[in-house]
Amino acid sequence: MSTPTTTAQLAAIPGAARGRSAAAPVGKHDANRKRLARLGWTFSTPAFLVVGAFTIFPIGFSIAMSISHVNVSGSGFSLSGVTGSNYNTLVHAAQWRYALGFTVVYTIITVLVEIVLGTCIALVLERLTKGRGLMMALLLVPWSMITVISAELWGYIYDASYGVLDQIFSGIGLGHPVILGTSTSAIVAMMVADAWKTTPFVAIIVLAGLVMLPDELYEAAEVDGASSWTAFWRIAFPLLRPTIALAVLFRILQAFGLFDLPFVLTQGGPGYSTTSLAVLGYNTMFQDLDFGPGAAVATSTAVLVLIGCLLFLRVFKAQVGEEES
Amino acid sequence: MSKRTNKGAKMSCGDGASCDARDKRSARRRPGRLATSTAAISAIGVIAVAGGAAEASHPAKVASHAATTTITWSASPITTSGPDPRTVLINDFQKANPTIKVKLISAPTNTDTNESGLETQISGGSTSPDVFMGDVVWPAVFGAHQLAYPLSKSLPSSFFSTFASGLVAGATYKGSVYGAPFFEDQGFLYYRKDLLKKEGLSVPTTWEQVMADSEKLQKAKLIQYGFVWQGADYEGATCNFMEYLTDAGGKVLNSSGTKSALNSPSAVKALSFMRSLVTSGVTPAAVSTYQEPQAMNAFDNGQAAFLRNWDYAYSTSQSSGSKVIGEVGVAPMPTFQGQATPGYSNIGGWNLYINPHSKHLQQDLTFIKYMTGTAAQTALATQFSEIPTNQSVRSSAKVIAVNPVLATVPKTKLVARPAQTPQYPKVSQAIYQNVNEAISGSKSPSAAISAASSAINTALSGSGL
Repeated sequence: MSTPTTTAQLAAIPGAARGRSAAAPVGKHDANRKRLARLGWTFSTPAFLVVGAFTIFPIGFSIAMSISHVNVSGSGFSLSGVTGSNYNTLVHAAQWRYALGFTVVYTIITVLVEIVLGTCIALVLERLTKGRGLMMALLLVPWSMITVISAELWGYIYDASYGVLDQIFSGIGLGHPVILGTSTSAIVAMMVADAWKTTPFVAIIVLAGLVMLPDELYEAAEVDGASSWTAFWRIAFPLLRPTIALAVLFRILQAFGLFDLPFVLTQGGPGYSTTSLAVLGYNTMFQDLDFGPGAAVATSTAVLVLIGCLLFLRVFKAQVGEEES
Repeated sequence: MSKRTNKGAKMSCGDGASCDARDKRSARRRPGRLATSTAAISAIGVIAVAGGAAEASHPAKVASHAATTTITWSASPITTSGPDPRTVLINDFQKANPTIKVKLISAPTNTDTNESGLETQISGGSTSPDVFMGDVVWPAVFGAHQLAYPLSKSLPSSFFSTFASGLVAGATYKGSVYGAPFFEDQGFLYYRKDLLKKEGLSVPTTWEQVMADSEKLQKAKLIQYGFVWQGADYEGATCNFMEYLTDAGGKVLNSSGTKSALNSPSAVKALSFMRSLVTSGVTPAAVSTYQEPQAMNAFDNGQAAFLRNWDYAYSTSQSSGSKVIGEVGVAPMPTFQGQATPGYSNIGGWNLYINPHSKHLQQDLTFIKYMTGTAAQTALATQFSEIPTNQSVRSSAKVIAVNPVLATVPKTKLVARPAQTPQYPKVSQAIYQNVNEAISGSKSPSAAISAASSAINTALSGSGL
């Protein structure tokens, strides 16, 4: 909204006012500052109110719910008493531990695969002299598709009775494996659908990093007799690290909130083998009406992903530091 | 029955409507959002016109009464083709009760969205909607949280005795009746008349016969699969399992609803039979991903000899696009050998509930009495082929003549899901997750039953997720 401009103006204007204040009487200077402050508040209040009402209040409320006994009744939500019981329930629930493990493993594997594939695609794209624009546009199609829609499409591919893959498998004599019907194949199928959608995103970010690398470095490497493999690992990759780190960060944040794919493809099944933390939180809150534990799922997920990202940044920074020293 | 789109849809995709948008033909009860909103808009239009016309044609009548009261009725679309039953019934009601006007609020077709929307609205103190149409598995959840008005506080027992047996019990929580049964749905066995005739088979009445007949038909290369049903990881698997379980003599909860009674040889027998349908090849392994549309699709395409589905499946199998028009018969569910026939059919369907904050209780009750009365129920059954809840309408010859499904209804035995506890959503999850795993073979039937049983106990004790 208008907050950034307003803040920038506020930062600039008092400086100017101070410059003038040497000559101006003290009273006038104060009045001016007060007027400016009032103006600033007037301009930023709507933005604060909107952010407060739609972001800060709901976050605060869900944190509050997660540490209270929540009772839903005809007269509304009532929160009573501060308690750790919602979190205690989580820790002792096999579903939560499974969902946590599943979400973490899913995030690590998909992010790794997507980064490797995305970087490879970016390297190819960088060398393309013709049709790079077209290729990039094509690549962006999966990324630009709404996940629910692409999940439905993958649903058609994986469908056990009239799916495309089923036709292919039975055509080459592999019978009729029920892809979404067993845990392992359902998880792998979901990872494939995820990689299909988000690899292009990684590719575009890495490509942007690659394009910015100065050509002189490659030329110098060539003169020194480095193979293109060595040139990539010794020159491009270290310089790309910040870019890749950014891509990884975005992907972790997104992958950890995995919801659409299992919701559409497997509804969390078979059993609860594809129930991610987000699906679990949704089920707990809106199907079981257990708002306390549901809020605890949501809050703990947010805290965990935050910790994960901070750890990642820390490790990554240290590595960059070593390279430089 | 209910309508949901996917597992989001799980709580009642089971009943009634198909749960997946993939199959256009079976989407009769589950239109897309566009269709829903179009229906809603046109419905509102019709009401407005009808209301205007009514006022214009009876100016004296309107003036003579003190004032008309407007109540709001939230209901998801009941059918998607032809005239909207909701507006037809509202118009009939307004004709009979000129002082009350009913404004329709078209609710989402996805039962989950519908339910959480109503829960949020009513717990927030909203006085609207005055009356809402809700799933048969809602009474405990809504009753326990005081989100529905206890109808038995204002209506006499003579009112409740007009319903077919078992329906009112299903709408009762802790001694109070929260919902008036509006229309019902239940499981049926659909079969291919032509195939049975070819092999000289009679309509199976036991599960063992379904299996043997299927194998015979498959061996004769007359059909690809024997029997298709719903085994996906969602509410529908609970509905299917309830039928086998009750046939085998098992129960989910003890009589007071406080503990699991599932861990029994009967339950293991029921689930083992379901799994054996898959291992014998009678049922495709893909059944562990089947919701209504997939099962319907296999049957409509002429790939299966038998189908377990809800009441709409007959008309779906006879509508354009189906390859089995004129070849389909409908029968009560089978049971296990040695048990009294027929087997149990799981109950689905919809009740009418009153918002506890409604300012028009008397008018709400009048509306509910009308909608569950003979006139409205006959219209529902004959014009819209829904199963009426009113016993006298159900057994009337005029109604039975309309649809072979309705003719089969009086011959069926019903079982309700264990929805008498407000923890029902979790109880059902415990059932369908484990049943699904057993069907797909990743857990043995006995391991699945004992896991489900302990998960149910955890759910009932209020601990756990």
